[in-house]
Amino acid sequence: MAEAAPLKGEKPEIGRQAAAGEGLAAPRSLERARTFRDAAALAALVLAGAGLVYFLLPGGPRIATMFLIYLTAVLSLSIYSGNSGITSFGHAAFLGLGAYVSAILTMQPAVQASALPHLPEFLKGWALTYWPALVAVIGAGVVVGLVTGAPLSRLNGGAAAISTLALLIIVHVILVGARDFTRGSQTFYGVPRLTTPVVVAVVAIAAVFVARWFRDSATGVKLRATRDNEVAAEALGIKASRVRYGGWILSVVVGMAAGSLYGHFLGAFSPKDFYFSFTYLLVAMLIVGGFFSVTGAVVGTALIFAVVQILRQAEGQSSFLGLFPLPPLFGLTEVGLGLALMLTIWRRPLGLAGLSELSLPWGASRLAPARTRSVAPAAAPGTAGDRLEISGLSCRFGGLKAVDDVSFSVRPGEILGLIGPNGAGKTTLVNLICGQIAGQAGAVVLNGKTVSGLHPAARADAGLARTFQNIRLFERMTVLENITAAALLRTGSLGAAREKAIALASEFNLLDIADRIAGTLPYGSRRRLEIARALATEPKYLLLDEPAAGMNPAETEALTEEIKAIRDRYGLGLIVIEHDIPLIMRVSDRIVVINRGAKIAEGDPATVRNDPAVIEAYIGSRNSH
Amino acid sequence: MPMLRKNTRRAALALSLLASTAGFAAAEDFVLGLATGQTGGLAAYDQPSLAGLKLAIDEINARGGLGGKYPVKLEIKDTRSDTAAAVQAAQELVDQGVNAIITPCDADPSIAAGQITQGAEIPTFTFCGSTPTITSAVGDFMFGTYPADNAQALVLAEFAAKKGYKSAYVLKSADSAYTLKLPEYFATAFEAAGGKVLEQSTYTMGQQDFGAEVTKIKGLNPQPDVIMTAAYEPDFPAFIKQLRAAGVTAPVLGSDGIDTPTTLSLGSVADGLVHTTAGFAVPGSSLEAFNAKYKQATGKEPDTVYIANGYEIGLILDAAAKVAASPRGRDLRDAIANLENVEGVTGPITYKGTAGMPVRSISLVEVKGGARSLVEAVVPEAAKVPAP
Repeated sequence: MAEAAPLKGEKPEIGRQAAAGEGLAAPRSLERARTFRDAAALAALVLAGAGLVYFLLPGGPRIATMFLIYLTAVLSLSIYSGNSGITSFGHAAFLGLGAYVSAILTMQPAVQASALPHLPEFLKGWALTYWPALVAVIGAGVVVGLVTGAPLSRLNGGAAAISTLALLIIVHVILVGARDFTRGSQTFYGVPRLTTPVVVAVVAIAAVFVARWFRDSATGVKLRATRDNEVAAEALGIKASRVRYGGWILSVVVGMAAGSLYGHFLGAFSPKDFYFSFTYLLVAMLIVGGFFSVTGAVVGTALIFAVVQILRQAEGQSSFLGLFPLPPLFGLTEVGLGLALMLTIWRRPLGLAGLSELSLPWGASRLAPARTRSVAPAAAPGTAGDRLEISGLSCRFGGLKAVDDVSFSVRPGEILGLIGPNGAGKTTLVNLICGQIAGQAGAVVLNGKTVSGLHPAARADAGLARTFQNIRLFERMTVLENITAAALLRTGSLGAAREKAIALASEFNLLDIADRIAGTLPYGSRRRLEIARALATEPKYLLLDEPAAGMNPAETEALTEEIKAIRDRYGLGLIVIEHDIPLIMRVSDRIVVINRGAKIAEGDPATVRNDPAVIEAYIGSRNSH
Repeated sequence: MPMLRKNTRRAALALSLLASTAGFAAAEDFVLGLATGQTGGLAAYDQPSLAGLKLAIDEINARGGLGGKYPVKLEIKDTRSDTAAAVQAAQELVDQGVNAIITPCDADPSIAAGQITQGAEIPTFTFCGSTPTITSAVGDFMFGTYPADNAQALVLAEFAAKKGYKSAYVLKSADSAYTLKLPEYFATAFEAAGGKVLEQSTYTMGQQDFGAEVTKIKGLNPQPDVIMTAAYEPDFPAFIKQLRAAGVTAPVLGSDGIDTPTTLSLGSVADGLVHTTAGFAVPGSSLEAFNAKYKQATGKEPDTVYIANGYEIGLILDAAAKVAASPRGRDLRDAIANLENVEGVTGPITYKGTAGMPVRSISLVEVKGGARSLVEAVVPEAAKVPAP
């Protein structure tokens, strides 16, 4: 934390650096190039693997084709599930939709007339080639994604996963019911075999790039933030439902493209080919490889596919490598698949690839240019009337008055200490102000704008930021991604957000560990990261909920300096909630004391310290400091 | 670089493992390739079919091979009841240049694989797929062996007409081609025979509660003379119990899906039930003799007619090989397509004049007191079979 001290001295430099600008452009394009290069490396690996299989194995072209089809399907699943953390059990059905749409549009008219006699006129006789049909499939995918995603994106966690299962069943029933289009449960035949090696390679490689690009896109970063901690993400201005919607639509589009490949490979299918067992296979591939990365999707598909292909050869063998006779042993593949899944969940819960993407070693020095730079506080100088006004906030949980008619205000540049004994309602008060819970009465007015009643993300947009008593980081994202996700609130450009994140990381002494996964950081770094992340939203008011919890006296001392430095540097209003009375006394300009939900005192530190009501509250609580 | 060498060796091992299966049979062998579901959902049909086929091939090879000339080598691949795996397996078998191919007891993989073997001009049989579109969708190299759904439906409709039933209620499910199309074929054939279908309603497979359907039947005025369905376990037992509990007494006709021990365990509610089956072993029949032979050869009870059906595929190939100019391609296909009255264990089998789904006898059995008895064995008239 010692590095935080020189902050003040840097202030004059900031404007100059930002104005110069040239330092920003280089790493930004470098960053984009890095994602592209890593995606290209992954794609090259996929192509090389498929190419080896294609040329070297007996039946290689088919095995390579099937692998690339499954890969495209698993990538589509990964785009939504990997980034949102919500397992989709519905993708098999969307693959089915893609297969049917593409099949209807590419069928020869004569076959179509016998297979689908009641097909509506506008769908009859198109007999398209693969690529125009794919365009139609993508268009249909957008529509299907928009329709199904509208309800789904409002849900999270288990509720969303169960809803995808419901979607699987609904789409299946529709496919079975739409007899004029699909022949219902009967086999849909006469589908031209258009999945040539070139077609499948082009689509699969495109899918690798799309999945990899999306993961590191602005929406992808925000989506992963909601995956790791939705409450924190929303407090940082990310609308979880919006980014989930985006990810879902893209995922459905890629899934339907994968389905068209699969349909043109099979040549004949029915809705049951796109149901539970296919769902199981796709989800198993993603889990084994690594749920949370594109590399994991590739690794999992390759591994499971290799296991299935090798075991299916082994089970038909009449002898073991020609040495001794064996009876045909069917079922080895299914047992192998199940074992691979169980072993992964047991030994490597994050999958074989874990959290990181395949990334090339060169270019590791990309963070260097940022070292000398710092961020400019974006906050315009406050006008005289600016303040965060809390008036009459009340919140009851059943009969318990957790917060009872509390009013106070804080000005830009002011540090307000908020103290109270255990259970006084401090954290509830912060949750009310920032919108994590809804109260029964009262208003929060930020520089004249009433924000109470708004979504937490809208309050963040208005200029409120907070940290959490029990630190809420995006545990499976890197330090830099944590800050970037928050910085995206103020800039649509991912490059600019990363620039700001690098600068903040540098400022909070996190640059050396910028590429570490946040979940692996020691406690002190976690606290610093959470504050840096909150500042990335360029707040006008920042609420720190027990920032000194778990710190030793030396760390607490450094924190005191840091809090003041933040105030001085960013000119924002701070509300610091603490148990640590000495810290609060040193750092605060003004102190509000609450007990049993109600404000019992307010004033400068000296006044509050001698307030009989405060003394009584603390002594009475047996938690006196 | 010991690591690299180790990996190279592993790769070489994997390659040799893959390559060794692509071995070729001796020139005079008849290689019969199987891409069937020995595991997964189709195993219940494809496993007994394979057991019967193996018995036939053993006997045929003991006699010197198909037609006494071509010893048979089986190339068996499991499709895990997955359509994509069936496509892959069929293409591998085509690449190996097999003489004939057998596909699973299901339309999806049979048609998907058949479209490949049709292009390669390799005669192909579905083990016990009964959807008539299997052959019409694929072409002239594709053959069925099991009684087709529409043929079963015709037998049931003609039986109903013969019994004097004038009106019928038909229960079907869109969830599978079998539960949907077989009742629809029945409705077509029943009306062609002069009957009237009062109502067709649908159920969801696995729904268990047939209250709505039973109420609807009970409310029909006049009551239907007969109720027909292709429902099977667990739907059929639930349906007939609830139907009888509601006091509906109309006779029920079912299809071969309920040719299982469960139907016999239903007790008195199943009394009077008539259903179709591919073969019923009455004393002195060749099916009874086959069952005894099977038990002797394998030590197991032949618990399903799919075993006999698999065995008959061996007999069909044997009969075709006897007359074929060569044991492959168009010669073999022409020989199969012109077979007439091949003596199978369930009755005579004829391909001549059909589109690949054979004309063969279908048995009607009646359930009474926990046992089945033969009503009649019928060879349906090809011209009257409802079009697929």
